[in-house]
Order: sequence, then structure tokens, then C-alpha cells
Amino acid sequence: MKGLVIWITTAEVSDEAILDKLGTEIEERGGRVEVFHSKAVENLGMDKNEKAKAIACAMLASHGVVVITSGSDIPAIESGEKLEVRIIEESDLYRTDIHDSFMRDLELAGLVPAPRYDVHPDEEKEILKKLQDLGYLDD
Amino acid sequence: MLVPPHGGRLTDRQYEGSEADEIIDQVKNGKLLTLNAREKNDLEMIGNGAMSPLEGFMSGSDYESVLDLMHLSAGPVWSLPVVFAKKDGDPDVSPGDNVGLKDIDGTIWGDMLIEDIFKADLIAEADKSLGTTDDSHPGVMYLKSLSGVYIGGKIRSIRRKETESFGNYRLDPKETRVLFRARGWKTAVAFQTRNPIHRAHEYIQKCAMEIVDGLLLHPLVGETQDGDIPADVRMRCYEEILKDYYPRTRVAMSVFPAAMRYAGPKEAVFHAILRKNYGCSHFIVGRDHAGVGNFYGTYDAQMIFDQFDPDELGIVPLKFEHAFFCSKCGGMATPKTCAHDNEYHVFLSGKKVRAMLAEGILPPPEFTRPEIASILMEAARKGDN
Repeated sequence: MKGLVIWITTAEVSDEAILDKLGTEIEERGGRVEVFHSKAVENLGMDKNEKAKAIACAMLASHGVVVITSGSDIPAIESGEKLEVRIIEESDLYRTDIHDSFMRDLELAGLVPAPRYDVHPDEEKEILKKLQDLGYLDD
Repeated sequence: MLVPPHGGRLTDRQYEGSEADEIIDQVKNGKLLTLNAREKNDLEMIGNGAMSPLEGFMSGSDYESVLDLMHLSAGPVWSLPVVFAKKDGDPDVSPGDNVGLKDIDGTIWGDMLIEDIFKADLIAEADKSLGTTDDSHPGVMYLKSLSGVYIGGKIRSIRRKETESFGNYRLDPKETRVLFRARGWKTAVAFQTRNPIHRAHEYIQKCAMEIVDGLLLHPLVGETQDGDIPADVRMRCYEEILKDYYPRTRVAMSVFPAAMRYAGPKEAVFHAILRKNYGCSHFIVGRDHAGVGNFYGTYDAQMIFDQFDPDELGIVPLKFEHAFFCSKCGGMATPKTCAHDNEYHVFLSGKKVRAMLAEGILPPPEFTRPEIASILMEAARKGDN
């Protein structure tokens, strides 16, 4: 997977738990994820501004990491290579249809892995029964 | 772990039983659009996930992107349009309408939530997808029979198992994937065919089997052109040869309900992507795959794969020369492995085989196993080929 910055646009005071939730979802699919909270900028000893955060995100993404961060503004992210940046409103992530559509677009673009199973485990049992009935598993 | 589906996950928009009845109840008194034979095949294959990541007939943006770039607008490789054409007599429809999809007999096979209605330049489509605008190409003839207006949108398809031909061999992609896993296969090679099996095919399949865990024999049973051997005859040939000549645990046979487009190289890529969705890691591409007449170069269908990054394609093409029996080698070979002149090679064209069968002459065992020749002879007597 190539790197990606998911920039969640927020109101002034945001619930950063949504970043962790999205990060866990992508991690469970097998993606390399870093969730970049606003405080992380200070922890890294960088200036507390959006530009500094953007630079740090770009560096991580350039190493193939899916970086999830948030902010009220989206600064221009400068990078030596073409950097994938996808933007979504925080409120949209709470809507299942928009969240799913956003994730599917990332999957199709090859930016995040798809869920790890191709057939749901419950359905797999039914299919095995059918295959047995049809004689495919006689041996 | 099997190769992931194209675009990451299998589309599942196929319904049966009471869920299918609900769809029919929702659309039967509303606007109904008519499916032609190809579109009916496509509807089934979108619904069952064989055409993943497609969730419906293409919108204008995907159509243009596929024709110009061989990629869907969202990114994945895709080589041929999958579209629904408005027919004479169809009602007027608009984006946002949910319409039923019926066949020419009036049976409802699904519905579509219309997202886009667009005009297409069918001559340009023929040129870009088929590489020709010649009326003698069956794909060009098909396109020229259409209205030039396409309707795109997500579909739901209805499955009626009781009406299906080759029901016992009709496995959806998720079913072949479960089958492969149950057999412990991590890799599988698919063999696409619209011809009866001859020794050359057997040789190629077995060469491929040497490097993978299993073989998926995947005869195409959707719409083909007149002159092709009927699917039921081809299936009988495969059933017969599987009895004695293949290890049962390393071969699975299932039908591939796609319509032939005769698009040569672009159809080879299309066929490969669909087999990836069935769980296959490798795909056999012979000479002039999906070709017709002399429209494509001998190796076009093999060379087109070089245009793609292997990772974005996600399935490995196994490119084979034509195979033959060489009397001097004393076995099957190809030009890559045989040093002898053509005079030692036993190879018959399909036309020649049909002529022999019509005269009551069995093809030689070096070309066709006797069990297969008998089936073909019987079919010829009945006028099936």
C-alpha cells in the first residue's frame, strides 16, 4: 500500500475518538496506521500549528503509512512525491452510508486494504454444505 | 490465502427466494426495461460477484474511463464496458428511478437504481474496445444493433436455480473460493474455453497444474456465436475426460456464465479479472484468446498483459503457444519445446475437425482422446455441431 493522509475536518472542538475508531478499523484490515492527534505535534517538539502537523503527516505517509489526523483548516501539504490526501467531514464519519462509501473509494484506489475475508464465516458453512451436496468435496 | 477479489471485496447483489420475490413485488407494476441476452448474462455476473468491483451497469464516467484508460474511474483495471442499452419500446426513465429488468419473455431478473443515462458513440466504442469497426466482426454487429443510449446504475439480480442449465456446475465466486480453501489450495489456475477439449488443451492445463495447487476448468456457457460447439456437448466432453485423465482432488469444474464479446486482447484481460474474482491466482492465455476471424494478432491477447503493473492486475497470465502431438518427440509439445518440422506435428483446425466428423471420420487419438471423439461424433450425427 502507498501512503495516505486522511484529514478529518472538524469544528473548533472535535471528538478525536473518531480518529482512533477509524484507525482501528483500518488496522484490523491489515493497514499500517498512525493516528495523529493534535497533541502529537507538541509531543514531537514541533510548533503547535497545522503546517507542522501537515509536514509530520506527509513524512509518515511517504513511508507507506495511513495517517489519520484532524483539524479545522487543511494546510497545503508539501511532499517530494505525489501524496494522497483524502478529506472528510467529521460529522460524515458518523453516517454509515457516507463512511462506507468513503472507505470503499479508498479500497478501490488501493489506499487501504479491504476487509480480510471474502466470504462471511457464517455463509461459508452454508456454502460448504452445498459443495458437499453437489459432490465437490467427495474426496 | 487466496488472491483477493478485484477491488478488494466481492460484490454480492444477488437474491433468491423470498428476497427475490420482494424485489419483483417492488418493480413489477412500475417501469420495466428489457435485457438482451448479453445484458442478462452480465446482470447475473455483476450480482454474483464475478464482475467485482462493479455493482451495476456502468455510468458514463466509468464507460469513458474504461474505453480510454482501461481502468474504472475509481482506479482498478477494467478492460471492457459493461453497459445496459435502452431498447425500442422501453419506457422513458430518469436518474433516480428504480426500474425492473426483464428478459424478452417478460420474466423479471432484477432491478436497477438509475444513476446515469448517457449517449454513446458506438463506432468509437467498437474501435476502442474491439479494435475494429468492421461489420463482419460479431461485436461490431452487436454494437450497431444498439440504440446508442446507455443506462447506468446499481443493480440487484434475481437467481432462479430451478431454471438454470448446468445447475450442478454453477458455482458463484464465493463458492469457488470456499471450495479452493476446503481443498487446501492457495493458488489455482483457470482455463477458459468455448471449445471441446482436445489433447492440446489437456497438455496446456497439465503444464499449468505443475506450478499451482489446483485447476479450475471454466467453460463459458453464456451467449456465443453460431458455429461454436454447443455448451452441453463441451460439458459432456469435460465430464468424460475428468473421469480417467485428471487427479480429482486437483481439478474443479464449474461453468462461466458470461457472454462472448470476441474482443480478443481486451477480453483476455476481462476474462482474467473475472477469474481472479473466482479465487484464481493464474489464468491461461493461449494464442488468439477470445479472438474471431483474423481481427487480432496471434499474440495480442498475451502481450496486452504487459501494459499493466502486475500488482494492479492481481492475477498472473500464463502464456502458452499452441500445442500439438509430435510423432518424432513421441508426445505433446509446443514450438517452445519441439525441435522438429511441421511434418511431424499432428494438429487439426476446428474447421477440419468438424469436416471430419461430418464425414463420419474420427479425429486421430494424437489430436483427440477417443472418448471425446465419440461424443463429438454422436453430437455431429444429431446435428449439434
